[in-house]
Amino acid sequence: MTLAEMQFVLPNLSPASAEIFLLTMACVIMMVDLFVKEKTRALTFALTQITLVGTAAVTVLTSAGLLSIVIAVLLGPDASADLTPRIVEVFGIRTGEEITYTFSSMYVADLMGSVLKLTLYFTVFVVMLYSRSYVLDRPQMAKAEFYTLSLFATLGMMVMISANHFLTIYIGLELLSLSLYAMVALNRDSVTATEAAMKYFVLGALASGLLLYGMSMIYGATGTLEITGVAERLYMGQANKTILIFGLVFLVSGIAFKLGVVPFHMWIPDVYHGAPTAVTLFIASAPKLAAFAIVIRMLVNGLIVMAQDWQMMLIILSVLSMAIGNLAAIAQTNLKRMLAYSAISHMGFMLLGLVTGVVGGDARFALNAYSSSMFYVITYALTSVGTFGMILLLARAGFESDELDDFKGLNKRSPWFAAVMMMMMFSMAGVPFFVGFFAKFSVLQAVVAAGYLWLALAAVFFSLIGAFYYLRIVKLMYFDPPKDMTPIQAPFDMKLLMSANGLAVALLGIFPQALMSICAYSLLRSL
Amino acid sequence: MLENYFPVFVFILIGIAFGIAPIVIGLLVAPHRPDSEKLSPYECGFEAFEDARMKFDVRYYLIAIIFILFDLEVAFLLPWATIFKEIVQTESVKWFGFAEMLVFIAILVVGYVYAWAKGALDWE
Amino acid sequence: MEFKTFVFYFLSAILVFASLRVVTSRNPVHAALYLVLAFFTASGVWMLLQAEFLAISLVLIYVGAVMVLFLFVVMMLDINIDRLREGFWSYLPLGSIIALLMVAEMALVLGGSYFDLFENAVPQTGIAESNVQAIGRLMFTEYVYPFELASVILLVGIVAAVALTQREKRKTKAVSPSRQVFVKAKDRVRVLQMPSEPRD
Repeated sequence: MTLAEMQFVLPNLSPASAEIFLLTMACVIMMVDLFVKEKTRALTFALTQITLVGTAAVTVLTSAGLLSIVIAVLLGPDASADLTPRIVEVFGIRTGEEITYTFSSMYVADLMGSVLKLTLYFTVFVVMLYSRSYVLDRPQMAKAEFYTLSLFATLGMMVMISANHFLTIYIGLELLSLSLYAMVALNRDSVTATEAAMKYFVLGALASGLLLYGMSMIYGATGTLEITGVAERLYMGQANKTILIFGLVFLVSGIAFKLGVVPFHMWIPDVYHGAPTAVTLFIASAPKLAAFAIVIRMLVNGLIVMAQDWQMMLIILSVLSMAIGNLAAIAQTNLKRMLAYSAISHMGFMLLGLVTGVVGGDARFALNAYSSSMFYVITYALTSVGTFGMILLLARAGFESDELDDFKGLNKRSPWFAAVMMMMMFSMAGVPFFVGFFAKFSVLQAVVAAGYLWLALAAVFFSLIGAFYYLRIVKLMYFDPPKDMTPIQAPFDMKLLMSANGLAVALLGIFPQALMSICAYSLLRSL
Repeated sequence: MLENYFPVFVFILIGIAFGIAPIVIGLLVAPHRPDSEKLSPYECGFEAFEDARMKFDVRYYLIAIIFILFDLEVAFLLPWATIFKEIVQTESVKWFGFAEMLVFIAILVVGYVYAWAKGALDWE
Repeated sequence: MEFKTFVFYFLSAILVFASLRVVTSRNPVHAALYLVLAFFTASGVWMLLQAEFLAISLVLIYVGAVMVLFLFVVMMLDINIDRLREGFWSYLPLGSIIALLMVAEMALVLGGSYFDLFENAVPQTGIAESNVQAIGRLMFTEYVYPFELASVILLVGIVAAVALTQREKRKTKAVSPSRQVFVKAKDRVRVLQMPSEPRD
């Protein structure tokens, strides 16, 4: 078959304009940094932040659905109904089809992807701002590579979020992982960081291998790698079940590695602990959003017919993660390590929402279940950014502030930031009327609605165990004498954003409804 | 199809023979009278100072890795080169097929400029 | 026996021998060189399967570049060969388990028809054309998105390699011939006119 006979349609680039914009800007930033010699990298930092804001603008302006949501959140629903059509007309945004495919169906643009991407940019923006003073204090980290690699990692996550092809998912994942390995090792003179990078790299490569092996089996069984195509062939029952199950097992193992759930969690504590805190902050927040997206793409969009099979696997992963994550976190003395185990348990909790989508072949609960997971992962990213940001806030040149003891008596040093940290901890623990409580609550109600009462009870039990170590930090901050009284030396913008982050955790707890309905609405329009 | 590779095969065989033959002839024909002085290793006429295996500078590794990355680029160029004529002749993908490789190479040129400006390519 | 079969067995024998030597040879540099031989013969076997693109990339990338890196790493590690051999027997059980696993995997793949692994096997084009072209036709049309992203991954590789290994320029006392030739006498010798001081 020659090219002329292939009936190839030239791809429409406009749905992917956000990716193209980000890539172009990342290359420009690399070049600018090479030729502007300056120690503090203020220009590189500013350009990175501008790029993230610009990418967000491009994403909003290419998705009519997202545009109306954003205007509704900022100005109210009436303004949205009024303004959206006019902006749509000015920028010539395509409406009509809810889900757009391009690049020969390798790329999908839908509302879920747009919402997750917008959250992603926001998270990375906050991460960069929090890391700024930490990076400045450490000459090894103060390189342009910290910013450019972050942008490439962001691009990888965007590719993952809007992938409609197993190959695209894999390439996005590799782009993200390669950037992260290098970022962890960026502080070359630190032995722990190098060791963490080594472990992360070896285990990450293994996980990618598992994922690829699973994908190849799925290809062997269905004859296509395109996710919608796989779903179609499965509906028609044209696939060999044995091979599919084998492929599915490898696929789920690979995802579990990337999410960091038990028994594929070994790398999480070492990497969180060993990496420079600024990089830990990055790893602990944004990639969780992308991991959630690929779970939805692969398992829900592609393999929903096999839901009975993968749900059982996810239940095992989820219960084990909640148990081991929460129990092991109690024994930690290092805050980053403790939060690593807490991340394992949180990802386990997030998976709970995904296991209850299809009950006995009935997909009535799917929307409710998946949107509760999406709400969970978004709010987890928000809280996680705040907690690791607090470590960065207290750190200064030559002092990491990542031991639990470093938080002793924080109330005496700064009552306001002790209160912000307390809000974060309450939210992580799931204390009522913080956002973490509603995240847990919505997942649990999805689990109960699907009839898995025992699973809900187990989740509550392990969360109660988890509450112990979160509340221990509150106790350290308020009831123990401080070790040193050095005042907090963070720049003003970081303090401001940190306060806003704390308030967001509290306010979203009081008004969770808007975000919840955005999650539900975007999934409704995308699945 | 495979018959096309017959010349290559013969070429490889002759190449191997050409490499092995002198050694074999040398072994058979040359006088062979070893003694301990002849067999001892030496370095520029002196006794060897240390093991031949020593730490290489990490810069060799950097050069090798950059070489691999650009070698991979060549692996992508190869299939493009084989269908280039077809791309040019097909009206619908004429410019597209050209532009996509241009973008591909442009992205790598960014990496090249980066490595160059960072001094990864010069030795001292 | 058909000539093709002869070539296959010839290559396979070399491949098996070379792979055995990779794991048994005492000298890691020899092991790496045997690996080169193994890759080379494997590419020959692929050529027999008419998988030209794979064969060429194996030679181009693995033999040409990856093995160079391997040799560098082997040399950089500065391995004490005798100490390396010490753990041989203690690693044997684990090694044999892994070997058995790989045999099982091979059996799965080779017995693929039993598992209906190939029910959607690659369609036979039946046209006598190189599959480099077939790959090219797909890669530059339908797979253009992953193709462009691949270059971004390569770019990240370059950035990571440079950022992680590039040290600050060391202060050496090496001479720079290009600057030497431009030296003028007045750069080196300064003639001063000093009034003679009277003796007290």
